[in-house]
Amino acid sequence: MRSLFRSSILCAGLLALTSSFASGQAAPRQPGEIAWAIHYDPKTFDPAKVDEQASELVRYLTGGVLLRLNRQTQQPEPQLAQSFRISPEGTLIVFKLRAGLRFSDGAQLTSADAAWSLRRVLNPATHAVVAEEFLSPEAVVIDTPDALTVRVHLPKRIIGVEKIFDEIAIEPANRPSEGRVTSGPFAVADYKRGQFVRLIRNRNYWRRDAAGVQLPYATGVRLDILNNREQEISLFLRGEYDLIDTLPAEYFGVVAQKSSSAVHDLGASLNTEQMWFNQSPAAPLPEFEKSWFRNRSFRVAVSQSIHRADLARIAYNGHATPAFGVISPANAQWHNNGLKVPPESIADANKILAAAGFHRGGNQLYDAAGHPVKFSILTNAGNPARQKMAAMIQQDLAQIGMQVTIVALDFPALIERLMHKQDYDVCLLGVSNAEPDPSSMMNMWLSSSANHQWNPSQKTPATEWEAEIDRLMQLQASSPLPRVRKQAVDRVQQIVADQQPFVYLVYPNVLQAVSPQLRGVQSSILSPGPVWNIDSLRREQDRPLRGSL
Amino acid sequence: MNWPVTIAMRAGRTLLLILCAAAGTTLLVRFAPGFFSDSREMDAKYAPAAQDEMDAEHSQHQTVSQIAIEEARNFLAGGFGMSRQYRVPVAELIGARIPLSALLLARGIIGGWLLAICAALPVSSLRKGGVLCSLPFTVLLAIPTAAMATACILSELGGPVLVLALLVAARDFKFLRSLLEGAWRSPHLLQGRALGLSPRVLVKLHILPNVLPQLCALTTLSIVTALGALVPIEVIFTVPGVGQLAWAAVMNRDLPVLVAVSLLMACVVGFAGMLSMRAPILEAA
Amino acid sequence: MKRRIALIALLLLVVGAVLVLRWSPGGYAAQDRDSTMAPFSAQHWTGTDELGRDRTVRVSAALLIGLAGATAAAALTTAIAGCFGLAAAFSPSWVAALLIFLSDVFLSLPWLFLLMMARSLLPLTASPLDTAVATFVVLAALGWPACARVIYRGALALRSAEWMIQGHACGLRTRQLVRLHLLPHLRSLLLPQFLICVPAFIVAEANLGALGLGVGEPLPSWGSMLLELDNSALLARSHWVYLPIALLIIVLLTLESFATEVETHA
Repeated sequence: MRSLFRSSILCAGLLALTSSFASGQAAPRQPGEIAWAIHYDPKTFDPAKVDEQASELVRYLTGGVLLRLNRQTQQPEPQLAQSFRISPEGTLIVFKLRAGLRFSDGAQLTSADAAWSLRRVLNPATHAVVAEEFLSPEAVVIDTPDALTVRVHLPKRIIGVEKIFDEIAIEPANRPSEGRVTSGPFAVADYKRGQFVRLIRNRNYWRRDAAGVQLPYATGVRLDILNNREQEISLFLRGEYDLIDTLPAEYFGVVAQKSSSAVHDLGASLNTEQMWFNQSPAAPLPEFEKSWFRNRSFRVAVSQSIHRADLARIAYNGHATPAFGVISPANAQWHNNGLKVPPESIADANKILAAAGFHRGGNQLYDAAGHPVKFSILTNAGNPARQKMAAMIQQDLAQIGMQVTIVALDFPALIERLMHKQDYDVCLLGVSNAEPDPSSMMNMWLSSSANHQWNPSQKTPATEWEAEIDRLMQLQASSPLPRVRKQAVDRVQQIVADQQPFVYLVYPNVLQAVSPQLRGVQSSILSPGPVWNIDSLRREQDRPLRGSL
Repeated sequence: MNWPVTIAMRAGRTLLLILCAAAGTTLLVRFAPGFFSDSREMDAKYAPAAQDEMDAEHSQHQTVSQIAIEEARNFLAGGFGMSRQYRVPVAELIGARIPLSALLLARGIIGGWLLAICAALPVSSLRKGGVLCSLPFTVLLAIPTAAMATACILSELGGPVLVLALLVAARDFKFLRSLLEGAWRSPHLLQGRALGLSPRVLVKLHILPNVLPQLCALTTLSIVTALGALVPIEVIFTVPGVGQLAWAAVMNRDLPVLVAVSLLMACVVGFAGMLSMRAPILEAA
Repeated sequence: MKRRIALIALLLLVVGAVLVLRWSPGGYAAQDRDSTMAPFSAQHWTGTDELGRDRTVRVSAALLIGLAGATAAAALTTAIAGCFGLAAAFSPSWVAALLIFLSDVFLSLPWLFLLMMARSLLPLTASPLDTAVATFVVLAALGWPACARVIYRGALALRSAEWMIQGHACGLRTRQLVRLHLLPHLRSLLLPQFLICVPAFIVAEANLGALGLGVGEPLPSWGSMLLELDNSALLARSHWVYLPIALLIIVLLTLESFATEVETHA
């Protein structure tokens, strides 16, 4: 029997040998590079064809642009352009390029390259998403009077036209290179699908710091493709990563405990978490249910019975701000400070419901025709904060007699129900707003839009107030007068607060973790967060070398 | 039966298996909710672009027959078509990942078997305390894969191979112990014991030959177990293998990739089946 | 003796869970929002969860739901695998080949999509208990093929065993043969399958929560509690999150010793 055990131990030792290879990112580490994780593969490195956020980040880090929106002041700053001028009627923009600009491969950058890059984006064959922002891209004319001047002729004024140029990378004319030859701080060097993207420093980048040192300071950027929060955080705490740009609220405390100087709660973001009732006439729901959801009193009562402070405190561990309106207080320029919202009160909610013909039978609410008020809240799987909010709302609504079931679906199935079949009762989701300017929300508010979630793609506005929102949004998008725009947007916020098509729940806070080793960080709540001034970021010490991966 | 006929039948069976897997996968994916949707549709900025793409997809893949014809054309051209999510040929995408996953699987399964056999042989010979001795394996069965993998990551001990080996070991151990216990109690073994044969001789001459056919069938089971565990393990440890790709394909309803993955599955399952069928030949020899 | 201890332990667990549920003042859904992730107290013996719900009550309810669902599903799937293996072993070779082929096809398909379809057939307002039942039924229907081949091999070996031939010669009917000879011998294969399926189904139920299946809120799900173990943020806040896995290990051990004792007595 002893020999049996002995051979067993031998085998176990053998096993230990075979399995002694641990996991880890295989990306080679370079001295002086900045590293962090992105959660999925960029779909393209072609800056003109960017159509999701990972590619957008790569374009931001590699593409040279005429103007860059300063993420702190929100003002456009000239980059490849030394200066720019917009004509008084807003239809002509003149860019003067800096002298002696070069691409990362050493070739000269002239107005011909800039004009070619702009035309490429405007060309319908490119399918560039940015082109849509020119409203009628086919009518835009570009010309180059000399090697340093680019003129853009617009058919009519576009509000906030400068920020469009923040998204157009200037590439060498007739030589699109998928980010390998760039005029920005970095260029794509290496990409392994599902593993990492490596960018290297552009030696010919135009910018120098005050002391005349060539930027960027970092020798490169490594973006590991990693969709595992635990691993990302543990690698950050070990010094392998320099930042986490969106830290989930539940992990804030864990990271703060181990490295309190690294985590920052920058307060409310521009993003909102909200729920809405399906008001689409095409929805395959019984008529009585649709009539609840179209009933303003019903929506207001639901809104009044939700304890938003609890949602922020418990579902987000305090790292969220209760939300009552469309525009976050973080967006000081556009937030309506005089917004009147229905107060949180169960008694008021009960009163409103009773006035609207609903009645209680025990713990259950019934409508005037005697149907019990039961519906489902749909949300996406894999977002713990949202699922906690849903469970809390379920309890809150039980207090006014509404019986709620919660269903979490994976994204494709959820989107099919929301966007194609309208087969849902109530949906709880978030909306991320990349830009503070309300023009960027047009898609959501116009009743004719497919992203007008509660009742999409309407031929004519279904209600008076939706028609009014349509008018106001068009007004703010076309008026050159800041005061008129502000008034229109304030009014939209008030209509939404009165009608509650979206029941706003919280504004999640911007949570970032930045290594104390990383110098030059200027925090910003706008995308791309702490790396918006990537050319001025510098790692203080070299990363600790790890023997085995 | 002479061997050319056997080989022809095996090949025919595998081919049929592959065809059934392709057809079944196509049907399942095409009619699953969310086939014609794209997560960017919710992003106000990128919604129109996503919508255009979806419309193009919709017009091309309206009916199952359209999809089937395109798949058949792709096979004849020697590939699997283009991946929907990555916009690159599926063959290129999967080809690079197969060696990594195969290595992980092989190491995990061999490790798991070694561990299970090493533990099951002595434990099954015990007359008392069997439940207590198998406690570690019961604990392993109870821990979800994700938790085990995360524990490994946090403690910086072990990697995907270890987790896979432990999972396979926990499942195989139960079967092995049961089989071996039966073998220890069989009459000729009792006699062998009574004669004072050493345990090593007993194991070699009596137990192993006795349970060998069923051990071979068990390999099918452990291969299938390991295949199932491959997906979460590769996803959590971010191993760029087939499992990770398959998961991304499921989340994006990437039909060409999924068909290719289920073909791979069919091949592996067919191969595992052949392994378990080899047993009678060994016995006869 | 051991069997009796195991049985008593299992009964104690179940009775304890029922009593906790009966006596709890708030029930498993009541949220005490002022004491979330609370430690041990007289009011909450094992503290509260992230939404301030009493953990003892939730674990008790989850134990009852999970135990009933997972053991029933595991028993069902083991029975299907057993029937399948026996049918294949005792039929003409072409039927056996066909059946084994079927199980191979079954193994290579992505059934996840079938689960998604199952969810889209259920109404969104289906009660949490209904979706839980549906989930366990689907799990039972999909869990058998991996094991079917092992049982087929086992049964094949038995078919040619001498005592089977003798049984036939003695004029025993097939049903008697199966009951008296086959099942006791196959138990060594069926039992591990059952024991493996119980925890696998408990966790699978929670994983299917991502597809809108499984035990829905506010019902507590044992699997979801187990899945919380991969969240280091939660592990750092309370040690009581290990309670569900401790219970699962105890339940598995009792099931195992109960079942092995049955086997040796048989």
